[in-house]
Amino acid sequence: MKKLFKYIFLLPALLIVPSCSEDYLDINTDPNNPTSVTPDLALPVAQHLTATYLLLNNRVNTLGNLLMYNWGQTDGYAWYPDEFKYLVTSSFYQTCFNTAYQNPLKQFQTLDRPDDPTYDNYTAISMIMKSYIFQILVDMYGDIPYSEALQRSKLAAPKYDDAQTIYEDLIVKLDEAINLINNASESALVPDIDDAMFGGDMDEWIKFANSVKLRILVRQSDMEGRAGYIQEQMNVIIAEGSGFITADVGINPGYRKEVDKQSPLWDSYAQDANGSDVMNGKATCATPFVIDLLTNTNDPRIDRIYEKPANGHLGVPQGLLDYDTPVKDAYEVDKVSNLGPGVLKSYDQDAVIFHLSDSYLLQAEAVLKGFMTGDAKSLFNKGITASFKHLGLTEAQAATYVNQVLPLVNWDITPAGDRLEAIITQRYIALNSLDAIQSWFDYNRTGFPSDLPISLLAVGVHDDRPVRLMYPSSERSSNPDNVPAQPDPFTVKIFWAQ
Amino acid sequence: MKRITSLLVCLLLFGFSAAFGQNIQIKGTVTSAEDGSTLPGVTVSVPGTTIGVLTDVNGAYTISVPSVTENLDFSFMGMKSQTVAVSGRQVIDVVMEFETYKLDEVVVTALGIKREKREVTYQTQKVDDDEILKVAPTRAASALAGKVAGLQINSQDNGVNPNTQITLRGFRSISGSNSATVVIDGSIASLGALDDLNPNDIADINILKGANAAALYGSKASNGALIVTTKKGATNQRFTVGLSSAYTIEKVAYMPDFQTEYGTGWEGAYDNIENTNWGPRFDGTMRQIGPTLPDGTFQEVPYAPVKDNLLDFFESGNTLSNTVYVSGGDASSTFYISAGQQKSDGIVPEDEYARYTFRANASKKIGKLELAFNSTYFSDNTNVVADEIGDQSRQLYWFLLNTSANIPLSRYKNWRTDKWATPDTYYNGYYESPYWAVGTNRNIDDSRRLMANMAVSYDILPWMKLTARAAMNNSWGFGKEWRAEQKFAEYRTGNSDVSSYVEDTKYQNQDYNFDAILNITRDVTDKISLNVNLGGTNQTQNTYYTRIRANNLSIPDFYDISNGTGTPETEEDDSEYINYGFFGDFTVGYGKFLYLNFSGRNDWTSTLAKGNNSYFYPAFGLSFVITDALPSLQNRILSFAKITASNSTVFNDLAPYEINERYSQQLGFPFGEINGFALSTTTVDANIKKERINTTEIGLDLGFLDNRITFDASYYITKTTDLITSITPSIASGAASFRTNIGELSNKGFEATLGGRLIEWSGLTWDMSVNYTTTTTKVVKITEDIKEVTLATVAGGLAGVYAIVDEVYPQIKASSYLRDPQGRLVIDPSSGTPRETTAFKKLGRANPKHIVGLNTSLAFKGFSVSATMDYRTGHVYFDQGSDQMEFTGRSMASVSANRQDFVIPNSVIETSPGVYVENTDIAITGGRQSYWTDVYNNVKENYVIDATALKLREVAVDYTLPAKLLNKTPLTKVRIGFIARNLMTWLPAENHFSDPEFGNQYSNSNIVGISGFLQMPPTRSFGFTLNLEF
Repeated sequence: MKKLFKYIFLLPALLIVPSCSEDYLDINTDPNNPTSVTPDLALPVAQHLTATYLLLNNRVNTLGNLLMYNWGQTDGYAWYPDEFKYLVTSSFYQTCFNTAYQNPLKQFQTLDRPDDPTYDNYTAISMIMKSYIFQILVDMYGDIPYSEALQRSKLAAPKYDDAQTIYEDLIVKLDEAINLINNASESALVPDIDDAMFGGDMDEWIKFANSVKLRILVRQSDMEGRAGYIQEQMNVIIAEGSGFITADVGINPGYRKEVDKQSPLWDSYAQDANGSDVMNGKATCATPFVIDLLTNTNDPRIDRIYEKPANGHLGVPQGLLDYDTPVKDAYEVDKVSNLGPGVLKSYDQDAVIFHLSDSYLLQAEAVLKGFMTGDAKSLFNKGITASFKHLGLTEAQAATYVNQVLPLVNWDITPAGDRLEAIITQRYIALNSLDAIQSWFDYNRTGFPSDLPISLLAVGVHDDRPVRLMYPSSERSSNPDNVPAQPDPFTVKIFWAQ
Repeated sequence: MKRITSLLVCLLLFGFSAAFGQNIQIKGTVTSAEDGSTLPGVTVSVPGTTIGVLTDVNGAYTISVPSVTENLDFSFMGMKSQTVAVSGRQVIDVVMEFETYKLDEVVVTALGIKREKREVTYQTQKVDDDEILKVAPTRAASALAGKVAGLQINSQDNGVNPNTQITLRGFRSISGSNSATVVIDGSIASLGALDDLNPNDIADINILKGANAAALYGSKASNGALIVTTKKGATNQRFTVGLSSAYTIEKVAYMPDFQTEYGTGWEGAYDNIENTNWGPRFDGTMRQIGPTLPDGTFQEVPYAPVKDNLLDFFESGNTLSNTVYVSGGDASSTFYISAGQQKSDGIVPEDEYARYTFRANASKKIGKLELAFNSTYFSDNTNVVADEIGDQSRQLYWFLLNTSANIPLSRYKNWRTDKWATPDTYYNGYYESPYWAVGTNRNIDDSRRLMANMAVSYDILPWMKLTARAAMNNSWGFGKEWRAEQKFAEYRTGNSDVSSYVEDTKYQNQDYNFDAILNITRDVTDKISLNVNLGGTNQTQNTYYTRIRANNLSIPDFYDISNGTGTPETEEDDSEYINYGFFGDFTVGYGKFLYLNFSGRNDWTSTLAKGNNSYFYPAFGLSFVITDALPSLQNRILSFAKITASNSTVFNDLAPYEINERYSQQLGFPFGEINGFALSTTTVDANIKKERINTTEIGLDLGFLDNRITFDASYYITKTTDLITSITPSIASGAASFRTNIGELSNKGFEATLGGRLIEWSGLTWDMSVNYTTTTTKVVKITEDIKEVTLATVAGGLAGVYAIVDEVYPQIKASSYLRDPQGRLVIDPSSGTPRETTAFKKLGRANPKHIVGLNTSLAFKGFSVSATMDYRTGHVYFDQGSDQMEFTGRSMASVSANRQDFVIPNSVIETSPGVYVENTDIAITGGRQSYWTDVYNNVKENYVIDATALKLREVAVDYTLPAKLLNKTPLTKVRIGFIARNLMTWLPAENHFSDPEFGNQYSNSNIVGISGFLQMPPTRSFGFTLNLEF
């Protein structure tokens, strides 16, 4: 009996003592989350996050459409109160800032490994995509964290860089990326289906890089004393020789009709995976200004951008408070023009982040301003045609449209002095609901389209829409020594519009 | 064991016939020691039998007992019970003394080490079973509220299976846990394990209030500990069978205050399907509500408020609980066995809860060896409404709150059949019928827990004892949650179709604890005593969790994963944790009045990198009983005085895997063959280590009037350095949170308990105790650059809980009005609307600055009345409910200016920088609606309100039948009681919504001070208890 007791006491001791063994505590490996992944598992995520950053509801494209008066609000929905008041505060659309860094940029940064030759192609893609996103950030905020950004635990409070300096570095980075692709090491991995944009076709990446460069340069084309720089850089693009994109640049990892797997624009504004109409879509409709603009120019795109109600197209003025005067229930969901089938195509539509129409119209502007040789009219018409085709219309319909005797539509009858207005107005129509943030940048730069109304709720408070966003309040608290004094969001334009 | 069995059989067969055989008569008188007066109503009984009588008005008794009777028991409430040997006497007079404060009370301290209270160098407090069971709580923790200085119990909601938060002495960590460690029968358990205990099985709970007391628990020590001891039975205890039952009814105590002047509509116009209340003023006319059906029919109701229309949705809940227990013991063994059952119906229709608990505890002493075994099994089933209701996936309460005052809600109960109650015809175009919600959204959970604890101890020498313990605490469960599909008819506008899903979850947690302690207790000389504990401990924890969800089900009402379309969503989360340590604890006593304690523990943990995972936890303490050292200080008034001082350093551990940056599968992936992993938005300091908590505590214990009145107080300072904190870096760093060791917190507090017997007269006693707690945590430092850490934001980022340098933590901050130096609102002269500050304003602390608890109990001849109150104040909370309801026009504020444009009282215009002129004529615009929804509602300062609450938490009235009445029955004890919980709550006038004690559930439990519409309205309960013993 006594012996037995001895063993009973030994038992817990045995359980406590295995400390002697070195690996007893070596169990701190997370069984559910890897600490590193191969690039083919990181790239599609970065691309998908770019698509959602831009095209999900209440992100970049929504902001563009609301500021550019493309979208109104259906009766019965209080969907856009702050937007209609132009209530630009440090919390207004802070997702445009936060989500960019936290989602796509963070994820692309994991692929940016210039010292690892096997990553050459992935590094190039990462540089191109980061440049694409950083430009949009500069266009919304001006000075932003750039050279010290994305260092995570190494640099919790990155400095802010000057907007124009960033712009110049973006061009440098895009050139480096093109070089890297052209001179990729033999051991370099080539993306395949994990590249949800070009399926690993690196030539397409070069064209896309050139198009982003074009956008960056044209954006600066109204600045005084900048012509020399632009010309020099345009020459680099031409000399490189690959040219610009030849189709819409879309992201599509394999969108499908399943929860969290639908194309973001469709998922946000059309139907959920169950096939039910979503509230955002019901709440969102055309404005009288766009309906009039498209109607007055006999533009068949009206029925593609907007869904035609039984009683004909109807838009709601932004900022309307009383929806029942003079006609009760006039703006109910079945009576207004919600988003149409050319915008919301299907659950598996590509999430387009650079439209072919946009590329052509940018080229038209570059030619018009003499930075590039070519046929401005042809590029202008190609831009419009690309827009028609994107929306599901035909080349013939586009031709009919551009041949009407209407200024801003027909290149030839548009007086030479109004041709920039024609280009910008057509970009505005082509990117309506699709990539309207670009139209906001154009508007701040050129003031076109003309006579764009402001929201009724801003009347008497603001003369025009805002020209920039405010830094999020989190930057004031987490990066106080670096975040610049906030420029007035209604008066201080981004450097390229000053 | 054989003896117990035979005793059992004997009692069952012959229990009631013990009086057979020869009887003798014993008589006598019972008097009070204090004044010699006779005592009526004293129970005189024969131990181990049912024989008993009461003394008469003259204190005299006569009892007929078997001639073999050895002892008589004398007991009287409020007096010390006595067992008197008969020794052949026939007249036994007894002098009884009033029960006094037990100075030599034994305290169960860390690792089950028992000590005399005088030796203890820190503050502890004991709550025994009577106090816990007073109002028949379903969870033991809730019964501690208001009873212990320094302890804060928050009931976070009031569902059928509620959540409770236990905090001792406030906050010491920003992202680490601040919840007290729970120890059951000597082994580390968990809050869940305490919740799963049948409160009837608890003998007492010792509260070790700070890290000094708990230092032997290493990294589990920092937040103090609740040392729970379950009932064991006593040696030589007669065989007792008992039944404890309680039946309580639960009712909604109060609903939010809402305006009842305006009904459904938008911008002043009536609207028949709106959830908002911006319509015209109620006028009593008949108006259409809801859609017009294709046949042209529609529903009409008077446009007038319906009294209590939301309250009527709630039912009266009820809980029935029964526990049967058997306990006893012979000279060397004890046992306690119980089975408990509880069944509850909630206040929400169809919410149900059932639980079963079983316990078996036994001990046996064989010579120098003692074996003990404690075990419990728990099982429960929760069936409640799920919380992803409708196309917006909202909680049930939301649907109620979005019902206008003019809607006769209770009419729509029969949602399947009644014409205007169906999903298509229900009036509200945006938020479906709550009755439909209850029927089509269910969350059903089963959970189980098996806990067992074995201890072996052996007296190696008379002064040396070895104890070894092994404990397991395993819990597992299964959940199924589902939502039925709902397609709406064409004529119904507003909300979208509702998609279906089914979600299955499983979890399993396995904790094992082993420890071994060698105890040496020796008087080295006459004066010097030594108490040493040496030991080791090992803890392993494994957790496992999976979730699988299938969407858009093919077959209606068939809730199986196979019924889903598309790829099911899956999640798996496992973890493993090991910690072991060795400790030594030395106490040297001198002259029974001075004690010095030193303890040290070294821990090794699996959560940190090799070479960096060992930590030493030292603690020192001193206890000095002044009145024993200097007996001359003792007098008629002061009877006892003790001072204590102690200091300890402990470290808070990290959770498993927190030292590495990790990837996880991105939401949405895989897309067919394309899989994708995203880098976490949390970045980690490569050199992360444990956080360090140093506590210094001083205490004073005083006894007055022969310890009839006692006063305990303590003051402590805690400094936390190297805080493991997820700071918010610049988002531009590519991370949303950065886990690192940073900054410093300081936590200071004072607590005191004053208690005593106010009245003691002819069997009447009145006891009262008041406890007071104040604790304040301040953020001393974060980093040079970073001055605050965001714990959570709500209301679209316009309000939140923060840790801010130089401020009390946790702190509530929100968007706020711009004010002039006199505090007047500065308005924008162009619109009349108030301007806002550019930065959010710090609006106050989120945990109470002062907590006062009051316990009182009055007893007279078997009757007793007791009550517990507590008062918490000095803090604020973000009233999320009022914030959300502002948009709907249901708030009291929205009618404060009759829905007209108005000049904001006490407002000013800034005519030039720093110059303010009173505004007398510029009115706000949009007073009809948009001022409230878009301007007022954006200033979240409006919803940060005083969280003060005074609660009458417990009231119990009970009566114990005199033993005389039970003489001829097999019963030895009958107690019946009337009980009430949360009978009354007093809130400040500005709190229109709910109980500030409620809180939203966050994964970081330090996020307090945000609550509102996610919790159902507060309730009160009342009912009856019955306790029988045979």
